[in-house]
Amino acid sequence: MNIGELKKQSDLSYDVAVAKRNELEKAHARQVVVYNEHIFKADPLTINHVKNLSELHSSPFMVLDSNNNPVQIDDPKDFLQVLVERNQESLNSYHQVFKTFAKKGD
Amino acid sequence: MTKGVLLFCFNTENTKYHTILEKCVHLIKKNLQLEITVVTNFETYDALKPLGFINYKFIDPELGNKKNGNDWRNVDRHRAYDLSPYDTTLVIDIDYFPFTDNLRPLLDTKYDFLISKEAHDITNRNTFDLRRFSLIEMVWATVFVFKKGPVAKRIFDMIKYVKEHYAYFNTLYRIRSKNFRNDYAFAIALQQLNGFINYDTIPMKLPTLPPDCKVTEFTDTGLVWQNQTSFGFTSNQDVHVLNKEIENV
Repeated sequence: MNIGELKKQSDLSYDVAVAKRNELEKAHARQVVVYNEHIFKADPLTINHVKNLSELHSSPFMVLDSNNNPVQIDDPKDFLQVLVERNQESLNSYHQVFKTFAKKGD
Repeated sequence: MTKGVLLFCFNTENTKYHTILEKCVHLIKKNLQLEITVVTNFETYDALKPLGFINYKFIDPELGNKKNGNDWRNVDRHRAYDLSPYDTTLVIDIDYFPFTDNLRPLLDTKYDFLISKEAHDITNRNTFDLRRFSLIEMVWATVFVFKKGPVAKRIFDMIKYVKEHYAYFNTLYRIRSKNFRNDYAFAIALQQLNGFINYDTIPMKLPTLPPDCKVTEFTDTGLVWQNQTSFGFTSNQDVHVLNKEIENV
């Protein structure tokens, strides 16, 4: 591979990295959900926390929202479903775009 | 409880903001599906194409502020509380294009006032991390939500106070820009009023396209941009466009 092709590959890698970071930010923005009038991020930390509490603690239980304010969760199953659905919606969207990145690297 | 979007739009000699407003209103109707009130003046209103059901509030914008030597009519944002006809109001800059419904749920919270502290440079150059010279973390008054009541009223009263004494606060907080910036006025007011500690924020980085990036294509789902060295596109992602040449796209 000559230097011109390597340069081209480098530029392509950079463009893909920029696009990936952007898609990731897009997914993070999409993971912001409002539940019980409070804001949460449908990220792995929140999902696992709620899942653990729902298994280890009887409802209702308390969690912190994105501004560290306490929120009572009366229906853990419903809350978990909201979180998981939004998390998977955002990551599925990321995955669709990610597949196109992979093709560009061929 | 009424909910809606409040927009400010004033044409200047250099920029036809009304064309930017038209794009923004279209996307709000499509994606946020909220009632809209536009704060404007007769001169700008006359230039607008028919936008369907929109409320208008006419004011004379306060003049005198400049950006890059040009007239910048951004000083009236502190009047949002009095001008909004809604119980809960989403205020967005007209150059913030909601290609998603991400902002919609923010009107359904218990919070009296929410604002974003972070922006994401969609060109991946971290352009906005440079704004750390001052002693105060800047907020992005590009997007904020408030619920009418004593808490929000106090915040807007404080913003007015900061605006009236902006030169003093500008020096106190070592802010580099000498013109009036809502981002700093809001940040100062929130910090002062909240006992110099944290306040509630929107946990979302505002996707922002820096001023050197020109938008070359604008559709219902996204935009294409380019600068001197690269180009890119967005799809189904909100974008705050800082290059005002989008008026011509």
